[in-house]
Amino acid sequence: MFKLFKKDLILFFHDQRSVILTFLLPVILISLFAFAYGGIGVFDGRSEHINLLVTDLDQTSSSKEIVNNIDSLEDMRIIISDSIKSRELVIKGKYACALIIYKGFQDSLEAGNAAPVEMVYDRSREMEIGMLQQALIRTLMSSTGKIIVKKSIENYLQYYYPAIGKSISDNILQTAIKNDNIIPAIKWTSVVGEKNDTKLGLIQAVAGTAILMLLFSVAGVGTSLLEEKENGTINRLLYSPLKGSTILYGKMLFAFFISILQLTAMFLFAWLIFNMDLSVNIPALILMIIATAFAVSSLGIFLAAIAKTRQQAQNLSTIIILIMSAIGGSMIPLFIMPPILQKIALLSVNYWGIQGFYDLFWRSLPFAEIFPRILVLMSIGVVMTLASIQLFKKRIMKLS
Amino acid sequence: MIEVRSISKSYGDIEAIKNVSFNINKGEIFGILGPNGAGKSTIVNILNTLVRPDKGEVTIDGININDNRDTIKLIMGVVPQEIALYEELTAYENLMFWGGLYDIPKSELKSNVNSTLEIVDLSYRKNDRIKTFSGGMKRRINIACSLLHNPKILVLDEPTVGVDPQNRNHIFEVIERLNKEGMTIIYTTHYMEEAERFCNTIAIIDVGRIIALGTLKELREISDAKDLLTIKLADSDNETISRITSANPLIRFEGTSNILKVECENISNDISIIINHIQNSGGVIESIYTQGTNLESIFLKFTGKKLRD
Repeated sequence: MFKLFKKDLILFFHDQRSVILTFLLPVILISLFAFAYGGIGVFDGRSEHINLLVTDLDQTSSSKEIVNNIDSLEDMRIIISDSIKSRELVIKGKYACALIIYKGFQDSLEAGNAAPVEMVYDRSREMEIGMLQQALIRTLMSSTGKIIVKKSIENYLQYYYPAIGKSISDNILQTAIKNDNIIPAIKWTSVVGEKNDTKLGLIQAVAGTAILMLLFSVAGVGTSLLEEKENGTINRLLYSPLKGSTILYGKMLFAFFISILQLTAMFLFAWLIFNMDLSVNIPALILMIIATAFAVSSLGIFLAAIAKTRQQAQNLSTIIILIMSAIGGSMIPLFIMPPILQKIALLSVNYWGIQGFYDLFWRSLPFAEIFPRILVLMSIGVVMTLASIQLFKKRIMKLS
Repeated sequence: MIEVRSISKSYGDIEAIKNVSFNINKGEIFGILGPNGAGKSTIVNILNTLVRPDKGEVTIDGININDNRDTIKLIMGVVPQEIALYEELTAYENLMFWGGLYDIPKSELKSNVNSTLEIVDLSYRKNDRIKTFSGGMKRRINIACSLLHNPKILVLDEPTVGVDPQNRNHIFEVIERLNKEGMTIIYTTHYMEEAERFCNTIAIIDVGRIIALGTLKELREISDAKDLLTIKLADSDNETISRITSANPLIRFEGTSNILKVECENISNDISIIINHIQNSGGVIESIYTQGTNLESIFLKFTGKKLRD
C-alpha cells in the first residue's frame, strides 16, 4: 500500500498541473474571497468610509446641526450636493444613497410634526445601505429628539415661568439635553470573535474555499483510479501479488495525505499573508484538519466509485461538488442564507468542516464543543470509505 | 509444466472460451493465435489467476492455480496488451515500482532493473520519462516490467501491436534470448508470421474454442493446406494450356490473364519439375510467384475465413 502511495506522490509532484490546481488555485481563490468578504485589507480595525450625499434645503440651525452630527461620525463621509444632482448621482450608481432635508424641517420639528426628510437610495446596494442605516438612524433620532425636547422645554418655561432669567433657562436646557439621554442609547456590544484578530470573512474565505478546492483535488485522485482502469495499469497491478483492496487503500491513503497537505498549506498561507491568527486550540485544529481531510477524501473516492468511466466521474464530481459547496457554505456564507437552506446545508460535508473551523477560529470554543462536528466528519468518512470499498471490489473484479 | 484441462468461462450470456485444453512444456514457446475477440486474453487472465474459470482446471508446476494464487503470481510474468506504464515516471522509476510489488530486496531489485534495461537495450534512456518514448520503446519497457521478479513463465499478450518493424525485431530478439535462457513463453498474437517465427506449438483459437493445436508441421498436415505456385504465362493459345493441364491434373488454369495455379506438397522440390513441364509443353513463363503453406492458409482452411476478418 505504501509503495502505491509513494508512486502516486511521485506522479503528483511530476504533474505540474496537479500541483497548481491543488495549491496555487486555492491560494488565488482564498485571496479573492478574503477581499470580497472584507475580512482583510484593512488591518487597523477600521472599515472603509461610507459616502453619503447630503442636500440641506432647510439651511436652519437644526438642519445644520444634524448635518454636522452625521459628518462627525467616524466612518461616514458626507458630500454636500443639491437635490437634483444627488438624485442623478444615485441613479448613475456613483453613490448608494442621498439624504435630502427639505425646507420646513426645523419648523416641523418644533411644531411636533413629521420632519420632511427623504432618503434616496439604490436598492441594489442594500449591503452598503444597511451599514449606513444603523449609523444614520441613531444620529438622526438623537439629533431630532434633542431639538424637539429643547423646543418643548423652552415653550414650557416661557408659558409657566415667563420671569425666569435667560441664564437659568439655558442651564435647565443644557442639563436636560446633555449626554445623549434624550432617547435611550443602545449600547452595541459584540460578543463573538472578540478574543482574536481574525476576521470572520477571512475564516469564511479560507475554510470555505479550502474545502471546495479539496473536494476537487480528491475527486481528481478518485478519477485517476478510473484512468488507471482504462489504461491498463490496474490490471497490471492485479497481475502482481497485490490484492484489489490494497490498490484502493493505497489510493485512499494518497487522497487523505494530499487533503491534509492542502488544508495545512491553506491555513499557513492565510497566516503568512493575511495574518490569520492560528494560536487557537492546536490539538482541536489538528483533529479538525484530519477529520475534514478524511471526510472529503472519502467523498472524493466515493464519487469516483459510483461512476463507470473517467468522463462520467469528472462530470458527476463537478456537479455534486458545486451543488454541495453552494448549499454547504463554501461559496456563500451560511449566515446570509435563508433558514431553509441553512437546514439543507447539514447534508453537505462543507457545512461540518466550515462550521468546525468557525468554532475554532471565530467562536474560540473549547474542544468539547467542537468534538461533535469532528465526530460527524469522521462518520461521513467511515461511511463513504465502506461504500467505496464495496463498489470498487465489484468494479475491480469486473475489470478482469 | 502447464496443464489446462477443459476450461470454460462466460461473461453473462457471452461465452468467452469453451472447453479449452492444452499442455505447455518447460522451455517451450507456446503461441495462441486467433482474431480479436477470440478469447486469447481470457485464457491469459485465467492462467494468471485474475479470472476464475467457470469450469475446468489449470495446474502450473503441479500447483492448482486456484489453490495457491500468490505462488502462481510469483511464477508468472505477464506483459499486458496495453502499455500499462506510468507516463509521468521515468523508465527506471517505472521498473522500480513494478518490481517493488514483488517484495524483492532493494539492492537485488536495482540490479534486476539495470540488467533488464540492458536486455531491452534501453539503459541509455533509463532516466527519461516514459511519455518521451516511442511506441516501440514503451513496448520494450512494458516487457521489461514483467521480467524483474525472474518469472519461470512469461505471458505476452499481443506485445507488438502498433510497433514498427525495427522495434518488433528487437522484441523478437528479447523473446528468443529469454527462451534460450530457459524461460517458458506463452505468446498470444493475431500476426501469423510472429507465431511462425518462434512458436514451437501453436493453438489456433476462434470464437472461444481451440480449433487446431500442434507444431506448424502438424498443423499443416492436419489442415491439408499446401504450398501454392502461381505462374503467369506469356500469350498462350488454348492448345498449349490444354497440353499443360491435361498432363498434370494438379495444375489449374485460371480462366483470365493466362494464370496457372499449382498446389504442391513441397514447393522447393516441385518447382523445377513444373517449370520443365510447362516449357516442354510449349508454354512461355512470364512470371512466377510462390507462397508456402502458412498459418494464414491453415487458419483459412480451418475456419473458412481470413485471420483479420
